[in-house]
Amino acid sequence: MIRNKSILWVFRFVVGGVFIWAGLLKILDPLEFSQNIANYHVFSRDLSFLTALVLPWLEVLCGILVILGIFRPASSLLLSGLLGVFLILITVTIFRGLDVDCGCFGSIGRHVDYRLLLTDIVLLYLTLNIFVSSLRSHSTAS
Amino acid sequence: MRFKELIFQVTVILCLSFVIGISVNLSLIKQYRKGDFRQSFFSPEDFPSIQFIGILEAEYLFVDGNAVFLDSRAEEKYLEGHILGSINIPFEGGEHIVEEQLPFPRQTTLIVYCDGNECQSSVLLAKVLADYGFEEIRVFFGGWAEWVAAGLPLSEKNDS
Repeated sequence: MIRNKSILWVFRFVVGGVFIWAGLLKILDPLEFSQNIANYHVFSRDLSFLTALVLPWLEVLCGILVILGIFRPASSLLLSGLLGVFLILITVTIFRGLDVDCGCFGSIGRHVDYRLLLTDIVLLYLTLNIFVSSLRSHSTAS
Repeated sequence: MRFKELIFQVTVILCLSFVIGISVNLSLIKQYRKGDFRQSFFSPEDFPSIQFIGILEAEYLFVDGNAVFLDSRAEEKYLEGHILGSINIPFEGGEHIVEEQLPFPRQTTLIVYCDGNECQSSVLLAKVLADYGFEEIRVFFGGWAEWVAAGLPLSEKNDS
């Protein structure tokens, strides 16, 4: 895991920025995001709708917190969890052969494919580094 | 860092996201509970020119002969079989639809369909048509599957 503070600082900006951007685009059109989630045929309509209302705010909030360094362990853990879920969902979708819009960036259509899987893995790597470093700095401080 | 502290922080962030997400979308939740999004997640108020129709109305409009049927499925599926007289405009959501693909007066009744209840490309195409200013758009939600099951006129491979 990366220990260099400058690199970790860049990681925080990249991950935070991506999630703030992705969240804001979804907040603009919650119904389209609901439909994107429903298209995966994994969640019920009720759950798709509820997720579409809450998830974008969770992404924006965690993105801001990661950049500002407030509640960093929890926010980076939550983002890692989200990326982990997305990773499973993308993999399952590719194996099922479904051709769907991922819904990751609101109305900016992006299909579920191997490139998206790679993007998710890279983001997960960055986020896990932020999480581990935040735990390390907390234990050093206390 | 203590585990309890981490759980506390996670809970705070989750609760805050939930409260904000629900409170800013109260009107949508009311519409959802009313059943406005039963067929598809889109607001009828934002697209007054789009209506959802069933097989009976689709058949009526077909027999009437004044409406144009648009098939939003992929070209291969269209070539395998389609509603008789329908025009193929393959659409998955990201494609750019150009004016030349829509050589109809804006008052024409356009009926958009795709595979059936599970597909969404007809709804997505209907939204694009609404943005182009078409005033009478119908989404035939049962689509190709329901049309075939009802034994209505179709054009199959080799006879189109």
